[in-house]
Amino acid sequence: MQNNSFKQFWAERGTLVVVFGLLLILSGVGWLTMGREPFVRTALSGLTLGALYFMVAAGLTLIFGLMDVLNFAHGTMFMVGAYMGWQFFTNPTFLFGLAPLILALLTGLLTGTPLRPTVMAWSVPERWQKPLRTALAVVALVVGVVALNGLDFIGLADTALVATMVAANPLAEATPQEPLARFWLRPALLLVAGLLLAVAQAGPGDKTQMVHRSTARRGWIVVAVLAVLTVVAVFVREAAPIAVLHMNADWRFVLALLTGTLIGAGLGAVVELTLIRPLYVRPFYQVLVTLGLAYVLRELIMLFWKPLAYQMSRPPLFSQPGKAANLLAWFSGHNTTVDILGVTFPSYRLFIIVLGVVMLIALGILMNYSRLGMIIRAGVQDREMVEALGINVRRVFTIVFVLGAGLAALGGIGAAPFIPVQPAMGDAFQLQGFITVVIGGMGSYSGAAIGALLLGLARAFGDYLALKFQLSPAIAEASTVIIMAIVLLLRPAGLMGKKE
Amino acid sequence: MPEPQDDYILTVDTIHTFIGQFHILEGVSLKVRRGSITVLLGRNGAGKTTTLKSILGLTPPRQGQILFDGQELQGRRAFDIANLGIGYVPEHRAIFRNLSVMENLRLAERKKGDLNRKADLIFGLFPDLKRLYKLPGNHLSGGQQQMLAVARALVADNRLLLIDEPSEGLAPVLIEQMMTAIRQLSATTTVLLVEQNFIMASQLGQAYYIIDDGKTVHEGAMAELLQDQALIHRYLGATIGRQGA
Repeated sequence: MQNNSFKQFWAERGTLVVVFGLLLILSGVGWLTMGREPFVRTALSGLTLGALYFMVAAGLTLIFGLMDVLNFAHGTMFMVGAYMGWQFFTNPTFLFGLAPLILALLTGLLTGTPLRPTVMAWSVPERWQKPLRTALAVVALVVGVVALNGLDFIGLADTALVATMVAANPLAEATPQEPLARFWLRPALLLVAGLLLAVAQAGPGDKTQMVHRSTARRGWIVVAVLAVLTVVAVFVREAAPIAVLHMNADWRFVLALLTGTLIGAGLGAVVELTLIRPLYVRPFYQVLVTLGLAYVLRELIMLFWKPLAYQMSRPPLFSQPGKAANLLAWFSGHNTTVDILGVTFPSYRLFIIVLGVVMLIALGILMNYSRLGMIIRAGVQDREMVEALGINVRRVFTIVFVLGAGLAALGGIGAAPFIPVQPAMGDAFQLQGFITVVIGGMGSYSGAAIGALLLGLARAFGDYLALKFQLSPAIAEASTVIIMAIVLLLRPAGLMGKKE
Repeated sequence: MPEPQDDYILTVDTIHTFIGQFHILEGVSLKVRRGSITVLLGRNGAGKTTTLKSILGLTPPRQGQILFDGQELQGRRAFDIANLGIGYVPEHRAIFRNLSVMENLRLAERKKGDLNRKADLIFGLFPDLKRLYKLPGNHLSGGQQQMLAVARALVADNRLLLIDEPSEGLAPVLIEQMMTAIRQLSATTTVLLVEQNFIMASQLGQAYYIIDDGKTVHEGAMAELLQDQALIHRYLGATIGRQGA
């Protein structure tokens, strides 16, 4: 029996033990050959990278494992998160200026669900149904264009750039917000456009569809909440940015993290519901759609903020001059750097490591102790059976996509204060994210954690070696692919992947 | 329930189901009487499993009508159909290997506390599961997995159970136990059973349907079928042959 339980333990955790054993041995070798200072510095850099890789890879692996969707727009979520967080932190005029418009359009669109039973019951002769839908969509498009006509997007987007230059009073230099008397028409028209689209989507007179009455009531509640938010957004449009800029910068940073994450998650929801969901019958198209979306969003970002790189400043919590003698001293001093084992290390990067670990733990709790996590773990193995138990798997898909997008966006905004904010910033992370997923095993979040740790360390130590031996920095980039190749040779399903 | 208490809980009317381009079901019809055990018989590949999956909406039929307790099932998604009160025990068990026995059962809850309410019933039928409660699904033997698969269909309040080949790969002792369990179940719920093991099928079933090449070709009471050796031989020859071995 003793022997048997050991065998079982080995079968389940053997890979983990080997990986961590190897890491420990390599650390020992590194410490002895590199010396303490460079070793600790490089290891900490590796952990920072690993934390970011994890936040990208966790979503990728769950989305692929559960939904079989290769999301090539995941790095874009990282990038969008970084841009939105940076905007919010530097000058949120852009976000508050657009919020009423987006909320108004969403309110209109979401009336589709509760309106469906009514719209379907309209008596429209069958041969007029299709032309009517097309006509509604065209009118909606025209109304939408009229609504946005003349809106100074670029001026709004530029506010953050101006703010960087005029630090004293960022809003004094650029207030491209229109007066309310003129502005209110835009959200109103967008609401109409959304409504028209919703009616077209619901299919007037089309009685062949199924309706669930229970969803109609919940639908109206969602619409009502959004409508209220829209009205609030219309009125706080000008005051809110100023209020945000006057608040404590540390709190503003926390809010920026939240905002970036929420926008990323919201974008994820829109993408899943409008682009991914209709294409489950054509998986290959889903890949193309995510790829196309990545390009579209990147071009859009470039349109607003030009193909330039920006640097988001660190919150004051991590930017007081000087060096904290140890972690405890940092808590009172909020210094830029901290002394860790005799190594001077940027305190903000430690924050990223902590953020990554917190997310890992949160995800671990979610996956292991919640019903949602149970459904996800079961769904990775057998979606059909989960559905047969009476669980709406499609809804779980949406939740997972939203979670993944939000986590990637959080990674992006977390990274913004120490890597340049630019349109291609997500690409490298997406690539490393995919490699992480392959190493860890598709669908396993713990695999993603181990893979991210390995890749982050490999990258950091690769960089160190390349510098020391005057090699091309490409060595460091290659190291991650080499690790992937080795893992795939030994464990084709990935470290934590299930053997099939 | 606003619907009149119909004799039949499930009515399947000439359904046609395609999987990819393959026309698997070419007109299957059957009726399941409330509180009975109805058996679907037929050779391998005749379309028995697809019939169950079509009822549940996992492979939605393109034509035909399915009524469950007076409600039309066409156009509904599988989860929605299951929530009307249909439990499914698929062939090859399909238990979740990386979930514990408890989690497998919890997953089947539709309301909070379902499992607690049904615990006595489930552990009464399958006492072994109590001992295995904390183990992950992949540590279970084939027989234990089958018990878990049936138990999972019992957690929620299901008025109809679709059970696909419960005897597959089981030792004779376990088949016996499984039969006892299914017979006990039929006291409180209705069962539509697909079974290759003719002895088991004939002992459990009250009514039978024979499916051949995607069509229902015969139906009746099990007692009559047992008299008709020619019919058994014609459609189920392979099955009985295997039984003799």
